[in-house]
Amino acid sequence: MAYIEIKDLKREYVMSKDVSVNALRGVSFDIEKGEFLSVVGSSGSGKSTLLNILGGLDWEYEGNIIVDGKDIKEYDHNFYRRYVVGTIFQQFHLIPSLNVEENILLPYKFSKRKGENINQRLEYILKMIGLEDRRKHLPKELSGGQAQRVAIGRALIDSPKIVLADEPTGNLDSKTGDSIVTLLEELNKEEEVTVILVTHDRKIAEKTKRIITLVDGRNV
Amino acid sequence: MFKYALDLVTRRKLRTMLTSLGITIAVMLMTFILFGMTDLQRAILTQFSSVFKPTDLYVSSQEMRGFGSSLSAPTKEAQEQEEEVIVDDGIKDEIEEIDGVVDVYPMFFLSGFEVYLGGDDVPYPSSFIQAMDLPGDDEMYGYFIGDEVVLEDTGIFISDFVPSYFEISNEEILGKKIILKSSPTTSFVPASNRNRIDREYEFIVQGIVDTSGDSFWINTSRALDILVETGGFEDKDEYTELVGYSQLLVSTEEDKTAEVEEYMVEELGVNVISTKTIIDFISTLTSGLTIALVIFGSISALVASIGIINTMIMSIYEQTKEIGIIKAIGASNRQVLIIFLIQSGLIGLIGGVVGLAVTFGLMQLADPFLVDLLQEQGFTAIEKFFFFQPVNAIYITLGSILVGILAGIYPAMKAARLDPVKALRYE
Repeated sequence: MAYIEIKDLKREYVMSKDVSVNALRGVSFDIEKGEFLSVVGSSGSGKSTLLNILGGLDWEYEGNIIVDGKDIKEYDHNFYRRYVVGTIFQQFHLIPSLNVEENILLPYKFSKRKGENINQRLEYILKMIGLEDRRKHLPKELSGGQAQRVAIGRALIDSPKIVLADEPTGNLDSKTGDSIVTLLEELNKEEEVTVILVTHDRKIAEKTKRIITLVDGRNV
Repeated sequence: MFKYALDLVTRRKLRTMLTSLGITIAVMLMTFILFGMTDLQRAILTQFSSVFKPTDLYVSSQEMRGFGSSLSAPTKEAQEQEEEVIVDDGIKDEIEEIDGVVDVYPMFFLSGFEVYLGGDDVPYPSSFIQAMDLPGDDEMYGYFIGDEVVLEDTGIFISDFVPSYFEISNEEILGKKIILKSSPTTSFVPASNRNRIDREYEFIVQGIVDTSGDSFWINTSRALDILVETGGFEDKDEYTELVGYSQLLVSTEEDKTAEVEEYMVEELGVNVISTKTIIDFISTLTSGLTIALVIFGSISALVASIGIINTMIMSIYEQTKEIGIIKAIGASNRQVLIIFLIQSGLIGLIGGVVGLAVTFGLMQLADPFLVDLLQEQGFTAIEKFFFFQPVNAIYITLGSILVGILAGIYPAMKAARLDPVKALRYE
């Protein structure tokens, strides 16, 4: 049995009485534990919809997603978003008034795992993302690549099993983008975390071990 | 979460301050009401207790001639039409026999006179004259300035407000002439009773009293003469028979006051006013006034809370994406709700603390002026008006936080229910 099983996933958005959009029309594929894969597709292919569903942000779908043998609908939504998945966004989505450390620790502030050695984890993550000397900097004092590293650190702080990266290089130049993909590759190896990278950029996708292509809401 | 909520509050300082301002104003209003009314009540009671002894009872007829209606001096015609218990020598004798009564002092009140200092054309503004047979240094008057003297028929005691009004010293006014002139314009004399018009009575200042009230005192014998003449009575006997004393001051033993009061009301059918009755009345009056003012204060708090609701809703629109982010990284609806409630509670707290601080400062600044003003108005026992009570300050602060939180409930629920996908896309 695969670690993640996506079975006949469908998502229809009802825009009005007569207008609806089928963003996903029956996506099915499996992902093995610790796999580093990418989902590619053009605009409107259903990538973001798939990511929102996998990220536990959208629960209005049909079909099934099984993670580690359990349908994700059986999880508490908040628990799923805190401890099962960690999400990285294209626009980084850092809190502008919080510094690097505080941004990374933000999910921990909402989690119920108190008393764990969070400082040790923070130090490890800061070292891994290479921002130990920028820990007190605010997002506006960071470059795009550094900001995305902070977002990666934030996604990892609660040790999720799956990391979802939504166009993580979309706002970066190619060199910086490459370094981010390399970082994701490293954390995939070191943290043994499953990484699902969503991108429209084939070159970036080719750096992953497997590519899932979406066309008009279906995987081909 | 608290730090994050605090960060949201401090991120937009100007707006937070402006929103808090509503609470600040409401708190200032409520503080002045709560502190001010408590202090006013205390001031009145302090002053009252300095003048009236708790063991004294004031007895008058059922018509309450003792206080309110004393301004309208009795006439023979009016008196003949009324049926009431007359507080006369008979009643006085009966009261003297009651167990626990120490002494009984008859009193007459005269009103409707203009009071002139001899050789001066300007009347003294107050024309209320009491008549009591007490030595000059009796504590009933207040503090007597000068040697003990017995009030003679032609003598008059005056309060120390009188010489200061006429701008002469206490020493200079002693021995001077005081003239009482009856005047229909300053009294409630019926038009039919012309006896009161254009009469003059001369007195010599025999003593000065440092008192809280601005009064004149003459002896009862002379007062009775004047009342008989101005009221159109045949003689003193007819007056005391038909009208009686304006009031009897009954001095009682310390633990017998209530008992004596009850006996006089039940058995003699007279009206009795005790110090306790008046204190209770003042307390009821000020409490009622406080409640009315608190309602006004609450309306301002309501207006302030609408301001907070508005700000918080604006804040949600501005922070929509951020709400999406924190939800995406694991914040639950409940946590978002709490963050926004902390935020609105903090706005309430800031408004409350600033309001209290400003009010406290204003109280400190205003206190000496208020005390001067009250002392000028006769509240001589008042040395400090505002008393800052920490317990009330705590209640007010907690109240401000509560107003903030209550105002934040709807916006917080709105924020908590935001769809994270839509929130993340919000621009």
